[in-house]
Amino acid sequence: MTDLQQQTLRAVVNRIIPPDDYPGAWDAGVGDYLTRQFEADLAPQLELYCAGLDAVEAESLTRFQSSFARLTIAEQDATLVHIEAGELLTSWPIPPARFFELLVNTTAEGYYSEPEQGGNRAAIAWAMTGFDEHVQS
Amino acid sequence: MKHYDAIIIGTGAAGGIVACVLAEAGKQVLLLERGPALSFTDVGRDHLRNQRLSLYGHNAGPELEGNPRVFVDPEGRARLVRPHELDYHNNAACVGGGTRVYGAQAWRFCPDDFRMASKYGVPKGSSLADWPLSYEELEPFYDRAEWELGVAGDGQAIQDQVPRRRGYPLPPVSPSPQTAALKRGAQKLGWITSPVPLLINTVPYGGREACISCKYCVGFACPTDAKNGAHNTVIPRALTTGLCELLTGAVAERLEVDARGNVNGVSYFVQTNGRTEQRSARAKVVIVSAGAVESARLLLNSHSGHHPQGLGNEHDQVGRNLQGHLYPRAYGLMAERIFTGVGPGVTVATTQFNHGNDGVVGGGMLADDFIKPPIDFWYDSLPPDLPRWGLANKRFMRDNYTRVLHVRGPVQDIPNSEGRVTIDTAVRDHWGIPVARLSGTTHPATITAAEFMRERGVEWLRASGCDKIWSTRPELMLSGRQHQAGTCRMGHDAQVSVTDEWGRIHNHDNLFVVDGSLHVTNGGFNPVLTIMALAFRSAEHIAHAL
Repeated sequence: MTDLQQQTLRAVVNRIIPPDDYPGAWDAGVGDYLTRQFEADLAPQLELYCAGLDAVEAESLTRFQSSFARLTIAEQDATLVHIEAGELLTSWPIPPARFFELLVNTTAEGYYSEPEQGGNRAAIAWAMTGFDEHVQS
Repeated sequence: MKHYDAIIIGTGAAGGIVACVLAEAGKQVLLLERGPALSFTDVGRDHLRNQRLSLYGHNAGPELEGNPRVFVDPEGRARLVRPHELDYHNNAACVGGGTRVYGAQAWRFCPDDFRMASKYGVPKGSSLADWPLSYEELEPFYDRAEWELGVAGDGQAIQDQVPRRRGYPLPPVSPSPQTAALKRGAQKLGWITSPVPLLINTVPYGGREACISCKYCVGFACPTDAKNGAHNTVIPRALTTGLCELLTGAVAERLEVDARGNVNGVSYFVQTNGRTEQRSARAKVVIVSAGAVESARLLLNSHSGHHPQGLGNEHDQVGRNLQGHLYPRAYGLMAERIFTGVGPGVTVATTQFNHGNDGVVGGGMLADDFIKPPIDFWYDSLPPDLPRWGLANKRFMRDNYTRVLHVRGPVQDIPNSEGRVTIDTAVRDHWGIPVARLSGTTHPATITAAEFMRERGVEWLRASGCDKIWSTRPELMLSGRQHQAGTCRMGHDAQVSVTDEWGRIHNHDNLFVVDGSLHVTNGGFNPVLTIMALAFRSAEHIAHAL
């Protein structure tokens, strides 16, 4: 994955699970989760991810004349909504909805699964959801 | 070549019990298991690779590579599937089989579950039939399974519906805030409720510790060994006799017959010093306990001059009537937090609708659910109108993971002889054995029942105080999976069944199937306690005959 693809990935996953009182996807380690998975279960999909991220960047340049990572949050979200709906200004070499669904799913996997997989740093998602709690009734 | 009294293929809920009963009766037993014995650490706590959520793999076998099946969808398109894919209809492949990682709900079937055809008539196009034995005949063996393995429950709760000679050996799991909410809801509706019986030590039992209420029951192994399965109850007992030889990593290839066509042993593959070796063993009796898919596959693969269609398959019945359970489900949002993090999580059920529903054949039980890891919840339980990404999705996870009430339950499958296991000789596994090919669906009457139960789930949640409620309509599909059953059904008539009421294959003296394959119908309940009860009953019969 190129530096630009990595930069786009970071920006996209941070809109899939944005920061609020709790960290966004990237700060919670979703990048680490995905990096590991690109060498394991997601290795067959790596090309799809790279092509998809290039296409997100191209879509952003056409739509807003700016790199995706530099768009405002509202512009980033608008771009992703269009991608999810398949309403595109550029021609995509891969099915956009399939790419986006895969990215959404794998971002959630990294964020909510156990920290040993690379994401959910310090089990932050389990504190957020309350899964960590063990209240004796 | 070594001669045994009995060879048993498979160490799951049934095989382990048969081994125990035969060995304790003084018989020499060879117990074959294709998987390994798995420790707690081997099973692990991977949220993405377990028997409940198997996105990239699972944790109790079989290996993802070298064990394909062929799945034919309802449109007739065939494709190769790997063990962790939904359409593989996997059960675990390890010592203890599915019981190593199950949720361990320990329901008895209702008396009417054994006489479905008499009670309802046979829906057109279905293969619905009565069992060749009654609840009353199986009751002593339910009792035995409950006491010898250890079940926690309330013996008084549904005594009118499912009569029992005595209570359970262990007290039921403790109620939680969701139990109170659901009981109030049921009370408003005039529905009966009961605690969910579980093969779990709520207090120490059988020389093992009590449950510590962790959050990892279904899909995982128990950290205190308090979940009672074949691997930690009956198999250790069998081994203690010194008469039972357990061979792991042993993959049965075919059953062997003598010059007259009588079964006399098993040919199997086993790994020794990193090399695959083919071996044979001889026995007076062979018992196939590999689960509804693999037991049928083994019989069909055991064809010979005497049995050109496979063993027990003279009337093309082996592999038919594959069933399991569809799971209607509903979710609702409570104003208050109901999650306490105290496992197992499943606490309360209603058996109000197992029978007697207008226009419905059968029905099913509904209960709350085991604690779901957050990623499982994210995939399974979010409202369909919630965006899949962005702040709204994250906020829902943050605010409502502890507030979503979930009810679900197995609905009685109405069997269809076209839902079936055959073998695909064009596709071979790692050992060169033709693989199972799964095709067909359950009968459409199942969908009527499932939709009826989904509506009851919605009704229950509404009465329990949920304002927002969501659920999806059940679809017609093949429903084997972990509750797989029916492929070697019992019956009196050899034209339309595979075995007699003891699991003995028609026209064979010494060949038995003992596992969920025998179930003529699969009840509106988790089937494992019925598999265990039948195994005790058949094993006693076999021990006397040997």
